[in-house]
Amino acid sequence: MSTVINEPAVDVVCLGVGYMSGVVATELALQNYKVVGITKGPYWDYVNDFSMTKYDEWGVGLGRKYDSPLPLQTTTIRNNSSQFALPVRRYTMPIQYHALGHGVGGAAQHYGGTMGRQGPWGYQMLSRTNQDLGVTPLTTPLPSSINPQDDTHDWPLTYEQYEKYYVAWENAHGLCGNYNGSPTNSSTDQYSQKYPWMSQNYRLPPHPLTPVAQMFQTATQAMGYNPFPHVSSLASQPYTNSYGVTVNPCVYDGYCGGPCDYACETGAKANAAYRTIPAAMKTNNFTLVTNAYIYRLDYDTTNNQVTAARYYDAQGNIHVQPAAVFFNGMWGYNMIRIMLLSGVGVPYQYNSGTGTGTGTVGRGLTNGYLPFNGTNVSGTLSIGGNSYAAGNGSGGSVDIYDLMDDNFDHTGQNFIGGSQIGMGGYLGGGPGNITFAGGVGGPSSSNPNGSMGSAFKAKQQNKYLPKTVGVGATRFAPDLPTFMNYVDLDPHYTDAYGDPVSRLTYDWTPNTYNGAIGLVQKCKDILTKMGAQNITVGNAVNPGGAHNDWWGHHLRGGCRIGSDPSFAVYSGYNQLFLSPTSGVNYFGAGEITNTTGDTVPSGTHVAGPQSYRAAEGIAKYLNNIKLGGSVNYLAA
Amino acid sequence: MVSQTRREFLKLGLAAAASAAAASGIEIPLLGNQNSNLQNQLDSANTQVTNLKTKLNTVTGFVSLNISEQSLVEAVVETIIPSDSTGPGAKEAGVIYFIDRALAGDYGQSANMFMDAPHVLPNIPAATGISTTLMVNPSLSWAFLLAPGGGYSVAGGGGSSAPKAYTGNNATTPKIPITANPRVGSGINYQYWMNLREFWRAGLVAFSGTAKSYSNKAYGGNFETLSSTNQLQALKDLWSNAPKTTYATSDDLTGFSNILPSDFAYELTFMTWAGFLMDPLYGGNQNMVGWDYVGFNGVNFGNFYGEGFNQQTLMVATTPTKLKPASLAQYQQAATGGT
Repeated sequence: MSTVINEPAVDVVCLGVGYMSGVVATELALQNYKVVGITKGPYWDYVNDFSMTKYDEWGVGLGRKYDSPLPLQTTTIRNNSSQFALPVRRYTMPIQYHALGHGVGGAAQHYGGTMGRQGPWGYQMLSRTNQDLGVTPLTTPLPSSINPQDDTHDWPLTYEQYEKYYVAWENAHGLCGNYNGSPTNSSTDQYSQKYPWMSQNYRLPPHPLTPVAQMFQTATQAMGYNPFPHVSSLASQPYTNSYGVTVNPCVYDGYCGGPCDYACETGAKANAAYRTIPAAMKTNNFTLVTNAYIYRLDYDTTNNQVTAARYYDAQGNIHVQPAAVFFNGMWGYNMIRIMLLSGVGVPYQYNSGTGTGTGTVGRGLTNGYLPFNGTNVSGTLSIGGNSYAAGNGSGGSVDIYDLMDDNFDHTGQNFIGGSQIGMGGYLGGGPGNITFAGGVGGPSSSNPNGSMGSAFKAKQQNKYLPKTVGVGATRFAPDLPTFMNYVDLDPHYTDAYGDPVSRLTYDWTPNTYNGAIGLVQKCKDILTKMGAQNITVGNAVNPGGAHNDWWGHHLRGGCRIGSDPSFAVYSGYNQLFLSPTSGVNYFGAGEITNTTGDTVPSGTHVAGPQSYRAAEGIAKYLNNIKLGGSVNYLAA
Repeated sequence: MVSQTRREFLKLGLAAAASAAAASGIEIPLLGNQNSNLQNQLDSANTQVTNLKTKLNTVTGFVSLNISEQSLVEAVVETIIPSDSTGPGAKEAGVIYFIDRALAGDYGQSANMFMDAPHVLPNIPAATGISTTLMVNPSLSWAFLLAPGGGYSVAGGGGSSAPKAYTGNNATTPKIPITANPRVGSGINYQYWMNLREFWRAGLVAFSGTAKSYSNKAYGGNFETLSSTNQLQALKDLWSNAPKTTYATSDDLTGFSNILPSDFAYELTFMTWAGFLMDPLYGGNQNMVGWDYVGFNGVNFGNFYGEGFNQQTLMVATTPTKLKPASLAQYQQAATGGT
């Protein structure tokens, strides 16, 4: 029998210790609240854990030795509710699967560090689209040609309201860039509703631009667009952040984020372990619990309160950790799973008969990365370069937001929104052997013998030393929430402890695909302006057919924030609410709480402000208790 | 990067470590006070280091593949990456040793894979071999697990103790109330109950070496004995699942009744290229011939051998610069000998 160990009660327990919990733990510990952070993995010390062993494509890139072990916990996936969901049994081979992070820093230990604020339209996708767009204004719900079984809602706060939290998050994590493309960066003029204006520029300068990025910059400028350097969370300079934590700069060795697998050996890549948690540690108010697997939240159904978190330690003992407030910063579906396992919130149930659903926890799953087959344009530039490991995972490129959101004319288009478009990342950006190996395949028109034989081998000779550079783009419009796409518990497969794993039911939405078709022509125009040769537009494969089955690293929605508890799990303070007036002592934030899908480079950057908003809410909540208040809901 | 002096010192350190095995003690000379005698010792040490490194870098012997598997896998990998006029292939890279070690290690053991039942094979027609009904143990069902203070239960999950029955699925005639299979990919393509070592064992036998094996039935002999044209064609046949479509299901082929041939072809091809291009630490890519062929730098970031290139210059260059690759072992050796 397991020993049950009762831990002393604290003010706040953070579930998982990644980006979101790092902010919440640090902000509250600095305000003298007692905080415990619990993570299923270890604390990674970049000097000892990464610097001598990370240059290893087989062990790290393919073996995923720094990531969450699948035998401990997996998920199942299917395309619609009538299918048997198959468990993810394997990482990366043959097609890359999103690997969960493990330990302090979470998934941000192995990402590319690519960032980008969401524009004002993204927060009011529905109301703004209905008001502003198109010859025929759209109505709610969106037509099924754009998003069948539409479940799109606006965010609870506007861009203007989130702006100060963006600044706080960027200053803590040391983001690099130079504004977001607005010609004036004004918060009031005509551009203020199109571009994410900034009350303060990014803390660090952008990384050096590549030659391709410079060509993209020149071409897009000439076309009347507003290019700006890609925003990155890999420090471009030595830096001391807003919490006094010192940060080493990027060394550009290329073993970074190409396949998003290589942890950073200098700590230049921002994540909680090297930006926020060190500051929390210094307060003496923060306790970090590693190698601890949270399996339940104790929930008092009479008073609607979470009373404790239960976890297994490495020895199999059960710990019960009570607190006044719980903050859920777990990655993606794990946030949803622990709520469903524990009876926290109202579980979502899909009704395939009516095409609607009830409940909220698990509802509205969207995907942040959708490379459709054939919706690409490619060409070659008459410059060469080094495509072996050099550079970093996200620097060096240039973006435009002019074809994103409602920033361009949608006349005749069957989609809403658009996409950030960027080009010119470092040619290396990670050892390409894995990308190539992941592309191993059978006979095709371009490779009659598949990845086999002398002819194919000859194509690989000096492939890291190109004399001409291939460029291309595959974009798509935002993935919109629909009743059909959701997360629940799998009835057949369990984790190592016998609890059900999560089950993802997801298929592509027409808006993304229609957007991909519409945007590819605009990308083609840019390539033409850049002087690319042999420009080819692919033959698009309609979703629902044999398109790419890649599941993105960036699951969004599924546990949304919103103004109404009929569809949203969390309020505008990221607090769990059960009615418009009743809340629970439980908060949560992450990409999975984003209200709508988007096509900015990073849902993490968009989630970041929510962590500051939640920290503010939790402080208010705790202060209210201290003052003897009985109101448990924070009106946003 | 490491200075010349320091690298010589590192080599001597390695030589000293090797000297026990070589049974010839070598003093580490004082580098600041060398005479010709010391220089001779240094040269001798360097020779020993070179010999030792050759041995260290050239893995030999097998730990997983048996004799007949060795000869088959060798022929397969040399078909996938032939040694030809453009440069060395799988043979020179020692790809078979990479595969052998991988099969004996985490890859073969499926150590980082989720391997729990039930195993529902989406791509295997139910008519061959998977007619046995898979029973899902109801005690595994989450619906029976209740959280303190009340758990989550939905219709169809809780209450019933009757096992749920699933069989291997067929997209056109599903035997179970599943209207269609999820499109596979992203980690759900592999649903076999075998770990990868077992998968290879079954696949190799199905492919070649017995009267019922595909190579023998279709091409009249073991794979190793076929012409190079037929060897490549036989592998292409796996990708197109020819073993299943060419022969009637009643004329069942050993092994391929439970394995989709294209899944096996994927492993063969993927692991061959991995053996050509992964770090030499794992037994393949010997002497970094794979990296040299594709122009990969390994961990040479521009100055490992004192070339004097700057990483930031290389990453924004408009003409390629080929760097002599360096391995992880070289990197670690240099790093531990340094600061």
